[in-house]
Amino acid sequence: MIDSKISRRYAKALLSLGQEDGHYKDYGQNLQEFSSFCADNNEFFQVVSNQIFSLEDRKKILEAVLQKSLFSDITKNFLSLLLDKNRIEVVQEITDYYIELTDEISNITRAVIVTAKPVKKEALDNLTNALKQLTSKEVKTEVDQDESLIGGVVVRLGDLVLDGSIKSQLERLKESLKRGVYN
Amino acid sequence: MIGLMGTKRKIALLHGCCALIGLVFLWGVGLAYGGGDNAVAHESGTVLIARLINFALLFIILFVVIKKTDIKGFFSARREGIRQKLDSLTRQKNETEIRCQELEQKLKEFEQKKKEIIEQFKADGEEEKKRIISRAHERARQILEHADLTIKEEIQEARDNLSQELVEIATQKAQAIIARDITDSDQDHLVNEFIDRVEKLH
Repeated sequence: MIDSKISRRYAKALLSLGQEDGHYKDYGQNLQEFSSFCADNNEFFQVVSNQIFSLEDRKKILEAVLQKSLFSDITKNFLSLLLDKNRIEVVQEITDYYIELTDEISNITRAVIVTAKPVKKEALDNLTNALKQLTSKEVKTEVDQDESLIGGVVVRLGDLVLDGSIKSQLERLKESLKRGVYN
Repeated sequence: MIGLMGTKRKIALLHGCCALIGLVFLWGVGLAYGGGDNAVAHESGTVLIARLINFALLFIILFVVIKKTDIKGFFSARREGIRQKLDSLTRQKNETEIRCQELEQKLKEFEQKKKEIIEQFKADGEEEKKRIISRAHERARQILEHADLTIKEEIQEARDNLSQELVEIATQKAQAIIARDITDSDQDHLVNEFIDRVEKLH
């Protein structure tokens, strides 16, 4: 909980800087790339975030990586600051909050569409439009596949879950039968 | 104490006199038999004299003794003592009889009380017996009711478990059948239905 608050505070601080200079989308992009890099290079992330190693050594490694990147100076300084404050281990959380905040500013909502089988592009577009109408926001979708759903589709919009899967229908039917309600 | 001492002395004196008379009498008798070997004529005169002397001595001794020892007072005191003792014994007897009557009365009362206690115990025992039997009946009724309820609950639970198992198996079977038979067109149909429902939400 404390980490969440701190992460939100760091994300807001970077966003305010980005809003001032108008590059907040770039900073968000940079953060996403760095988080992806950390996820892909776990050894690097373990070394940078592990306080057993000296701060100087970790800073040298981070700077070496950042020098080879095309990140903005603000982003580089922000990441160095996270390292100085021993908050680099929550960079993924900060990135998520930052994306949430930039989405709010840009009136964008993100939807995760989970299907049992691949969905035709036309159906996906129709679904995206329906979600746009529902949320009155620009909807960015991410499609996942989960065969355990058996059929149908599940959409997650933040805290809202729209479940149209066969699996959930069977579950509801099962609960109704157990309760003795057959209609 | 002094009176008692005097009486004892009189009694001792009387005993001594009696002993002396006895001795004289024996001496007289001895003399009478002792003269058996002499001549008959000589014998009858001597014996007569001895007897006379014996009698005279006896008379004198008795007279002296009676004179010296207030035999009348002795017997009077003796009679008085016996009378007092008799009175005392009569009083004791009366007291004893009264005491005996009291004890007999107490014994009767005790017997009565004993009977009452036994009756009371019997009554209490009967009451307790009835209470125990009543309680046992009540407990038996409760046990039966509880057993009946438990049986019903067990049956219901078994029925519920069976139903749930049946539902579980049925849904698993349905899931397997649907997963096996579902086609792409079914999936498209389901997605379109979902889109319609989302549009209706708006």
